[in-house]
Amino acid sequence: MTEVRSLATESLTKAFGGVVALDGATVEFRHGQVNALIGPNGSGKTTFFNCVTGMIRPDSGQTTYRGRDITRKAPHAIVRAGVGRTFQLCRVFPRMTALDNVLAAVRPAGLTGLLRGARARDEVDRARGWLTRLGIEHLADVEARNMSWGQQKLLELAGVLMGDPETVLLDEPAGGVNPALLDRIGTLVRELNAEGRTFVIVEHNMDLVMSVSDHIVVFDRGRPIAEGPPSLIRSDERVLGAYLGV
Amino acid sequence: MPSASERTMAAAATPGATPAARVSAPRPVGRIVQVALVLVLAAGVLSFPALAPNPYILSAGIVVLNYAVLSTSWNFVGGFTGYISLGHGALAGLGAYGTALLVTRAGLPSFVALVVAALLVAALAVPIGFAALRVRGASFVIVSIALVLILLLVFQSWSSLTGGSRGLVVPRPFPGLLRPEHHRVFYFLFAALLGLALLAWWLIDRSRFGLGLKAIREDEDKAEALGTPTFAYKLVVFVVSAGFTGLAGGLYALWFGDLDPVFQFSILTGSYMVLMALLGGVRNLFGPLVGALVVGIALEYFKVEFGDTQLHLVATGVLLALVVLFMPDGVLPAVGGLLNRLFRPAQSSIREVTAGELRDQRAAEAQEREPVDAGTTAGSGEVRP
Ligand SMILES: Nc1ncnc2c1ncn2[C@@H]1O[C@H](COP(=O)(O)OP(=O)(O)OP(=O)(O)O)[C@@H](O)[C@H]1O
Ligand SMILES: [Mg+2]
Repeated sequence: MTEVRSLATESLTKAFGGVVALDGATVEFRHGQVNALIGPNGSGKTTFFNCVTGMIRPDSGQTTYRGRDITRKAPHAIVRAGVGRTFQLCRVFPRMTALDNVLAAVRPAGLTGLLRGARARDEVDRARGWLTRLGIEHLADVEARNMSWGQQKLLELAGVLMGDPETVLLDEPAGGVNPALLDRIGTLVRELNAEGRTFVIVEHNMDLVMSVSDHIVVFDRGRPIAEGPPSLIRSDERVLGAYLGV
Repeated sequence: MPSASERTMAAAATPGATPAARVSAPRPVGRIVQVALVLVLAAGVLSFPALAPNPYILSAGIVVLNYAVLSTSWNFVGGFTGYISLGHGALAGLGAYGTALLVTRAGLPSFVALVVAALLVAALAVPIGFAALRVRGASFVIVSIALVLILLLVFQSWSSLTGGSRGLVVPRPFPGLLRPEHHRVFYFLFAALLGLALLAWWLIDRSRFGLGLKAIREDEDKAEALGTPTFAYKLVVFVVSAGFTGLAGGLYALWFGDLDPVFQFSILTGSYMVLMALLGGVRNLFGPLVGALVVGIALEYFKVEFGDTQLHLVATGVLLALVVLFMPDGVLPAVGGLLNRLFRPAQSSIREVTAGELRDQRAAEAQEREPVDAGTTAGSGEVRP
């Protein structure tokens, strides 16, 4: 097998007051694949993303990315290590144009890089390229706050991809989007994966999960209860139990 | 004058775009008008000393310019990152006392002392920023106020060094000059410093660094999640802001020649910087300058008309409330919008986009489910394992 470890955690724990959101979660995602992380509402999926991307500190446990410890790193350093993410409640910069939203993901190197014009030709071309690929190029000069929910979700994704992450974490990419867009997102994930990007997708829409993923991890109450390929997960009793409460 | 980033991108040719994308055609006319306005503004500022009828008016002009430098310096932090500091008065005070002490105690030439003092203020801004920039919103405002109060206490009680409340006399850099000449020279020095601060702000505004800072203003956690080292960005721009504020304070010390901790370390100074910047518009290069012109002239007028009453404070408060309520983006964008409506009814570019967009959006949303708070999207029923 040529599979390598991608993002992995060891006994990750996080409690909010009395609520244990992550309960010693030991998880391993696979490099080069489309991984899915599913589970009922409140099972800790978003908290898991927040912990591994450095947005919140786990109480204990460890996160590694391709073997390197990233547990205590700041979010921007984790991006630098190759892991980008979107947010469940879709976050864009509301008063920036779509183009600037994407350009904001450019990580300048050195003092000259920092002082270079934000609208450098090559970067603008690259940014427009991503907008085009996501089908929102015609909105390049529109402020994000004037865009619809679906358009904002596409914009957020364009921004993350502009940062050229090797691994992309998507928190409910299909949440609240129309069926046509859903198909587009599924296709896009597949294409980007074929180009070499690893995905970890948190998603409730099972059609999407089953059609795009190679490997599925199922969460319940802050820890994995099952994992495997879609065919296996589909008929796993523990999974049915967690979801349907039987 | 919209700053680089606020201007609608001059439709850098959008081939194959839908009709909705008929963004404003490149507007060379707009650009020419902008340049002309800047030139008029510069000419007005530079010709003021020749037009000022007496030294008193000239010195009032210096006070206004000083405000303009201070609020432009404040706007490096306030405008780009959205962190509202009420403590910048303390940084100006440090620049003033630093310059004065380096002249009186260390015997440095006046302008060497000025530059060294500003560098020291910038250096001191590193630990200050390190502590203060960890908190956001109201907490940051309170920390910045604490800075002023602490420094006021220190400088008032350390009277052996600062002269305490008796004040500290700063020798004049040009002892040979008569009073009107002294004012004239300092007027141009302040104008030069203002030009320098504006240039630096403009450079940052159009840079990637500036875009990162503006991302922090919009959503700091999101900026960090996109890979921007937000804390380092904030710290750097805070240090730049402190350096310019220190220069303004030091130049004021050399001009005025007499320092009192009560005025140097006053929350009022910081409040004026905030008010002026907000009034003119923090997203605009010339916003703080315009705000300083309005507020500074009003303050000087109140001083002449009503003497030492507290009336100007009331007026200031009312003005601030009006601005925040009716022009949250400041005077410049409001005036710009008004001019656009008056003179370009056929070409109101922004609205055309939004209107076209709206059509698109409606069409899209017709098929779209209600945009829902994610999380409620899927009940357990949606899962079909
Ligand atoms: N910042 C927070 N403060 C307090 N409690 C929190 C916080 N974030 C999450 N929780 C709690 O932790 C638990 C796990 O939440 P989390 O958002 O990780 O679940 P999830 O699997 O993403 O759910 P969903 O599918 O609804 O998005 C929930 O009980 C939630 O209420
Ligand atoms: Mg969630």
